[in-house]
Amino acid sequence: MPDLLEVKNLYTSFHTEDGVVPAVNGITFNLKHGESLGIVGESGCGKSVACLSIMRLIDHPGKIKADAIKLDGVELQSLSEKKMRTIRGNEMAFIFQEPMTSLNPVYTIGFQLQEAIQLHQGLNKKQSRTKSEEMLKMVGIPRAEKVFDEYPHSLSGGMRQRAMIAMALSCEPKILFADEPTTALDVTIQAQILELMNDLKQRINTSIIFISHDLGVISEMVDRVIVMYCGSIIEDADIRTIIKNPKHPYTFGLINSKPRIDVDLDKLIPIPGSVPNPLNIPSGCPYQPRCESAMDICKSKMPGKSQINEGHHVSCWLFSKQEGKIKS
Amino acid sequence: MTEPIVKLENVKKYFPIRGGVFSRVVGNIKAVDDISFSIQKGETLGLVGESGCGKSTLGRTILKLLDPTAGKVFYKDFDIFATQKEELRNLRREMQIIFQDPYSSLNPRLNVGEIVGECLEIHGIAYGREKQEKVESMLEVCGLAPHHRRRYPHEFSGGQRQRIGIARALTLNPDFIVADEPISSLDVSIQAQIVNLMEELQEKFGLTYLFISHDLSMVRHISDHVAVMYLGKIVEISGKKELYQNPLHPYTQALLSAVPVMDPDHKSKRIILRGDVPSPANPPQGCNFNPRCIYAEEHCRVEEPELRDVGSGHQVSCHLVEKM
Repeated sequence: MPDLLEVKNLYTSFHTEDGVVPAVNGITFNLKHGESLGIVGESGCGKSVACLSIMRLIDHPGKIKADAIKLDGVELQSLSEKKMRTIRGNEMAFIFQEPMTSLNPVYTIGFQLQEAIQLHQGLNKKQSRTKSEEMLKMVGIPRAEKVFDEYPHSLSGGMRQRAMIAMALSCEPKILFADEPTTALDVTIQAQILELMNDLKQRINTSIIFISHDLGVISEMVDRVIVMYCGSIIEDADIRTIIKNPKHPYTFGLINSKPRIDVDLDKLIPIPGSVPNPLNIPSGCPYQPRCESAMDICKSKMPGKSQINEGHHVSCWLFSKQEGKIKS
Repeated sequence: MTEPIVKLENVKKYFPIRGGVFSRVVGNIKAVDDISFSIQKGETLGLVGESGCGKSTLGRTILKLLDPTAGKVFYKDFDIFATQKEELRNLRREMQIIFQDPYSSLNPRLNVGEIVGECLEIHGIAYGREKQEKVESMLEVCGLAPHHRRRYPHEFSGGQRQRIGIARALTLNPDFIVADEPISSLDVSIQAQIVNLMEELQEKFGLTYLFISHDLSMVRHISDHVAVMYLGKIVEISGKKELYQNPLHPYTQALLSAVPVMDPDHKSKRIILRGDVPSPANPPQGCNFNPRCIYAEEHCRVEEPELRDVGSGHQVSCHLVEKM
């Protein structure tokens, strides 16, 4: 059986007046059936753009280029826009970060839910209403029949996010993209939503791609993690390895710069500098100006992917075999 | 034990809700409702709570940036709410604020030298060359370069802008600083830089911070004492260690258990709160927290609990604290 999602050398760039912004810079990964994958990185590292590119939701002036984007063995790039529309929302669904801005304020919650169900499942009005109400109940919205006829503004942030999740899951997608679904929410509400998602993951056998900048949230939600920096994947491994035994200096920095709720730390170890301007990404390894172990080769050449263990890869000259050869 | 530098006594801040033809006051949003505590000199008090609990309003009310509805705030020996104009302006030299959003809190039409140095002129401390030197040295203290003086805010990244905000707050050499979510709009890798800077400055200038945040891990890191706010009230206040290791209020317990832990082996008993925070315009009867509390009993719905000391400065406002 092929992997559920296969992405090979995906490049997304935005051709702006100021120059070309390479938002995603040749990333390759795959997602197995029923797996949950986390994508971690800071703002602007291309994690959201990568997922939007897979769903072909990038608009002008963005350009998507890839060797392969395959869903269940089907190449998505060769599909017509019409065909693509039957996949979006049906086989791949998206939960956005801001439930306030991603729901349409002038339509009722019910209307927005029904729309997708009628379109993809061919149910009539009455059937789709029953189905929508079922979905709202499943995500734990009390008095679902009433909420169905209400507008987004009358719901709280947590409730809106639940409605978004109901919408995304209504057609039982194969892949669910969750783009920082809890960032705009308070911790206690975040805990509710994460529990709900974990619960649903087990009930409906959906694969999840979970995007977040918070390694704490990620470590509760996923099996495997991809760490992104400046549009490239710099490390990938299972969650335990990433947290307990990170290799890339950036992953290391991300973990060490965060205070812990369960342990007292004397001093935080920050990552020096800041994320480079995307119009002006440094030569060689993009992390090199902030990296404490940077060597000469880091400034001139982008490191390739080296394998540390089965399923653990790093893009860093410190672990590259080629570098070893150059040294000796 | 040092003396308190800031002392709050029953501070209240209500926002009136107006309605009807004559826009009469039909109700009040009790953003800050009867809060008393004190902050010791040189320490950091962390103030945590969810959005809308009134923590920012409290921070601003303490500095009289918002007019209080009732209560008293003492800074050293001055009653802040009773001071007026000239006297208040002199007090403001010693009390400053760092804002949450470094993008909207810096005037885009002034250069950094003007932003940081403006207060020196207003207070008549330094002008011209002398002002410039002070600004440059302050920028250096905050990890920027002296030549940044001539640049404008849009030329800086978020973390650098927050450094400008900190430099501006520190120019007058204050003793007390309200930091209103100073790191929440910054990237993860930058947050640690700013927090470390704040800690260094505290040591160097003997600053006292009121650190307002919803990030419970960061508050644990930076604070000496922590106060937890819910719907305009303090529900628990205590030394940091005590609060994080032995939280007594059910809300604090739920709040702490809700924070995701960066450890795949971590198996926590998470307390999931039901429902949302009620509207502060229409708070529940009795204890504010009773509709979401798993332990709530009959008299929690009737009688409002008071903040009680349960030993060694650990104060909790819960009827059932003995059973916890």
